[in-house]
Amino acid sequence: MPEKAIITMENVSTVYEGESRPAIKGINLTINQNELVYVVGPNASGKTTLLETVNGLLPPFKGKVTVFGLDIQKNGKKIRCQIGYVPQDFMVKPGEPYRAIDVVLMGRYGHIGFLKQPTEEDKQKALDAMKLIGIEDLADRPMGKLSGGQQQKVMLARALAKKPKILLLDEPFSNLDPDSRGQIPLLITKLHDEQDLTTMIVTHDIHHMLEHCNRVIVVTGGKVTFDGTPEQALPLVENHPHTTSLKEEHHH
Amino acid sequence: MIWLEFAIMQRALIGCVLAGFLMGLIGVFVVRMRLSAIGYSMSHGAFAGAALGVATATNPLATGLLFASGTALVIGPIADKARLHADTITSIVFPLNMALAFVFLTLAPEVGLSSQVANVLWGSIISMTNSDLLYLTTLFAVTLAVVYFVWKELFAIMFNRKLAEADGINTKPFVYLIIFLAGVVITFSLKLVGGLLIYALLFNPASTVLQFSENMRKVVIASPLVGMATTVTGLFVSLFFDLPVGSCIVIVSTIVFGVALLLSPKRRRKEENEK
Ligand SMILES: Nc1ncnc2c1ncn2[C@@H]1O[C@H](COP(=O)(O)OP(=O)(O)OP(=O)(O)O)[C@@H](O)[C@H]1O
Ligand SMILES: [Mg+2]
Repeated sequence: MPEKAIITMENVSTVYEGESRPAIKGINLTINQNELVYVVGPNASGKTTLLETVNGLLPPFKGKVTVFGLDIQKNGKKIRCQIGYVPQDFMVKPGEPYRAIDVVLMGRYGHIGFLKQPTEEDKQKALDAMKLIGIEDLADRPMGKLSGGQQQKVMLARALAKKPKILLLDEPFSNLDPDSRGQIPLLITKLHDEQDLTTMIVTHDIHHMLEHCNRVIVVTGGKVTFDGTPEQALPLVENHPHTTSLKEEHHH
Repeated sequence: MIWLEFAIMQRALIGCVLAGFLMGLIGVFVVRMRLSAIGYSMSHGAFAGAALGVATATNPLATGLLFASGTALVIGPIADKARLHADTITSIVFPLNMALAFVFLTLAPEVGLSSQVANVLWGSIISMTNSDLLYLTTLFAVTLAVVYFVWKELFAIMFNRKLAEADGINTKPFVYLIIFLAGVVITFSLKLVGGLLIYALLFNPASTVLQFSENMRKVVIASPLVGMATTVTGLFVSLFFDLPVGSCIVIVSTIVFGVALLLSPKRRRKEENEK
């Protein structure tokens, strides 16, 4: 298969507003079509910053990010319609007036033209995505009244309802129970292969990393310190105290 | 005489219906887009502007609008980038607008505490002119059209602005559209309720309805209706007891909110929901 670069980063540094130290610096990275990349690294190393620089939510201070060969800062709106993004630790508070199906349907908004309303087809695609994740029974429940894991599944369904060409998932499995932790990453891997996606997944879970991908990027202190196969990455990751646990201590 | 009073009453009633509806509707977006600081600042900016209009014997609507938009232009980008906390913004801008308003009002010695000044402060039902009603009606049509046509963008932004961006929506124009509409609606409703109290009308109906509904579509339909009901009830209370109409409207709308708080199923279940 010919290698086609989907995401490229050239000497990219991102500085948050009001900060002087870049959160990621000097990143050079190319991710080709149909690559499934796991991004690992300790807390505050810059993983989330990396993903949000890729989809253009954060403007790079230096360097250039291109997606599908286009500058993300100039074509962000168009490109983001093709990127399914699951943010880290996204939680809706109880009492907020949004139903799960509303949230999933929002994933399709980028595809629906200006001044147009979602069609029956859009609604069906949203429902299909929920079915795929196994949460169709939650469709009419208020989002804020779902558990952390259920909300995480809704956010995944939202990303999939978009029918994206790129998936950027930031610790998308952190709240899932052991059963789902087995099934959902498998499902993502399957979709990734079937639909020829390009996928970046941030995780602290080495088992997922070992089982589901062929490329691992380790981010430490805002830099890419390793880029290779999961087997090569294993000793690096295992030695790191932050990365070995399943993030249990983060659960509230 | 009776006929004249009837015409005044009729205008006041229509004014209350339109202003209550509009403030209730736009309030949902202001509250859910976390624009409360801007809404609050614009309300008192419009008040200061209207005071300047009275003092200089120009059109208080025009100066009110000027001040409201000026406030939005200065505060908007600051709040937008979260450079300052919302509380900081409101606690700095509110006293400034009040100080300006009082300076303007006293700068007009021959006007003194005349009826026009009182109108700007607490609102008045006799102040509604036919052109005010025309403005409000136009605004009513424009706001409904905006909400209908760009509902999905507004809905996504209310849910989460960053996620809306991540889904390919350019959020900035929509946020500023709401800020602009809010500024205009506030200014045109000012005469009725008065600059000191207008903000309550923006905030209370939305907050009331949000105590009950878990479906945003229902919130957007119910909030303007609640806004309308409270302004109309406030109007009749004010006529009956011969009290300032703005105060009556705000008291009614606060009572409605209080009752909603007591009855809200959300509150009662809240303890179970939170860990
Ligand atoms: N909004 C922000 N403003 C300023 N600095 C920030 C902001 N968000 C993150 N940072 C800083 O940028 C660096 C990288 O943060 P980032 O969130 O990318 O880390 P991460 O690898 O995703 O961490 P975690 O594993 O905890 O999710 C950290 O030093 C963090 O303090
Ligand atoms: Mg992170």
